[in-house]
Amino acid sequence: MTATANVTMPAGATPPASPRDAGVKRRKRGRFGDRVLPYLLLLPALAAILVLLAWPLVQVLAISFRKLDIGQLVSGKTVWIGFDNYTNTLSDPEFWTVTFRTLVFTAAIVAATILGGLLLAVLMRHLGPVVRIMVQVTLVLAWATPVIATTTVFQWIFDEQYGILNKTLDRLGFHGFIGFSWFSSGPSTLAVIGLLIVWQAVPFVTFSLYAGIIGVSREQYEAAGIDGASAWQTFRAVTWPAIRPITTMVTFLSVLWDFNAFAQIWAIREGGPDGGSTTLAVVLYLKGIAGNHFGAAGAIATLMLIVLALITGRYIQLLTRTREGDLS
Amino acid sequence: MKKSLSQRIVLSVVGVLVALAIVFPTYWMFVTSLRTPGEILSPKYDLIPTSFSFGNFATALGKDNFPTYLMNSLIVTVGSVLCALVAGTLAAIPLSRLRFTGRKGFLVLVMVAQLAPVSALFIPLFLLMRDAGLLNTLPSLLLIYFATTLPFTVWMLYGFVNGIPYELEEAAMIDGCSQTGAFRRVTLPLLGPGLVTTSVFSFITAWNEYLFALVFIQDKPKETLPVWLASFRTAFATDWGGVMAASVIYAVPALIFFLLVQRKLVSGATAGAVKG
Repeated sequence: MTATANVTMPAGATPPASPRDAGVKRRKRGRFGDRVLPYLLLLPALAAILVLLAWPLVQVLAISFRKLDIGQLVSGKTVWIGFDNYTNTLSDPEFWTVTFRTLVFTAAIVAATILGGLLLAVLMRHLGPVVRIMVQVTLVLAWATPVIATTTVFQWIFDEQYGILNKTLDRLGFHGFIGFSWFSSGPSTLAVIGLLIVWQAVPFVTFSLYAGIIGVSREQYEAAGIDGASAWQTFRAVTWPAIRPITTMVTFLSVLWDFNAFAQIWAIREGGPDGGSTTLAVVLYLKGIAGNHFGAAGAIATLMLIVLALITGRYIQLLTRTREGDLS
Repeated sequence: MKKSLSQRIVLSVVGVLVALAIVFPTYWMFVTSLRTPGEILSPKYDLIPTSFSFGNFATALGKDNFPTYLMNSLIVTVGSVLCALVAGTLAAIPLSRLRFTGRKGFLVLVMVAQLAPVSALFIPLFLLMRDAGLLNTLPSLLLIYFATTLPFTVWMLYGFVNGIPYELEEAAMIDGCSQTGAFRRVTLPLLGPGLVTTSVFSFITAWNEYLFALVFIQDKPKETLPVWLASFRTAFATDWGGVMAASVIYAVPALIFFLLVQRKLVSGATAGAVKG
């Protein structure tokens, strides 16, 4: 491969222009068709992104300032009501309860996911090949099992009468758990949902961080060993600097995913009991689709986007900046 | 970094315990799917199965036209993945190989689109599909899955095309290929692994999708597997064997796809994101 590539390089005193620059020149002198070509190729992707992602994003904002219930939907009338949807939402104490719950829930499962993934990745580095492959296979299995399939399994494990968890706890001497219902209160329902989400999210985080860890050269660890560094010192000085960018990235992605998590929460108890496991994503669904209050739901969606932007803004800023530098 | 024997034993034991904990839900899904309804509801404590039966699979497959839901899921998933691969490859080529006005702008657009939480967009998308007369049809889901996996597909394939040296195409052109011919004969075949890795991620996203399938489809026979499976559980709450068997069948295509690219998974997943 390299040999073929070398043949094309013009030998001579002047340093050869990089092949990409050569491409640019050709293109600039090219016919009209050549100049239109890139745009033609981009067209399908651009159209899809603009119509199905960018335009709806603008629409969410617009809808949030409209009264759009089933009546307006059928008649097709556009009724602007200013900030009414926002004042109604923000003056509802239930909204604040749910927002607080969503934030705490997101923070807890993101922290658990990242910490779990980090510990597992470090553990994997220290394992012998056989046990390591065992762990890796189980992680892939957990990762590949579809979300709703996993949800049904967790319901079965936590089933009050026949669930294996209650049976096990009973066996271990905790007889109070016979017939204990894990879904009878909001917090314990959320704990089960959280465990479920973490279980599904840990493999991606572990593999990403492990990829970063094995990227660290063996010499660096050997040097740390010779200097007599403790395990913790080695982690601080060698491993952590290498995996910090990846950790930031997976944390950011986890916040994005967990804050918007819907499938697991809805499929487990539809936000119950009595709204005890309801999060903002569930409220959005209940208001918008189940309740046909599209305007009010638009306001909630916008507020969610603002919260998410506030949490992740700094990272997006960093990301776009480095990318733009990269995009030359 | 030499470890003593006792250290290695302790680590191995911890590793095995961790592996068992991670695999347990999946194991339990398989084991339950192979038990008879009588065994499932007996108070006996049996972590390790002693007998096997495939009755639950027959129940699941026979219940409300399971094959229909499987087909629905396959149509929207495979359809959206193919569309995303075609549009993504078409976009990745000029982004990587050509320089033109608006290129940077497009890349930034793709990246921002990748970060947009799609669940916040389902109300305008619902209205859009309604106005287009696509509500309650499989193409509406196909379009949404196509659009939501597209930014990621473009980004990954852009990275993969960048990874294939342009010199190879130049060599082919010197040998008499046209620019298009050189791309088709040299770069496209080398892009194979990239296309496979990218399609697995898109496949998993579409295969798992629940919210849009729940919102956009109102006719039961048009539902996809996740929605059907979630409702199966509520409607037949006591038939855990059937639910587990259906979950196993639902998991198999995803498992196969994952196993296909298992080794490529992470390098592919993080290639785009870590570079910055």
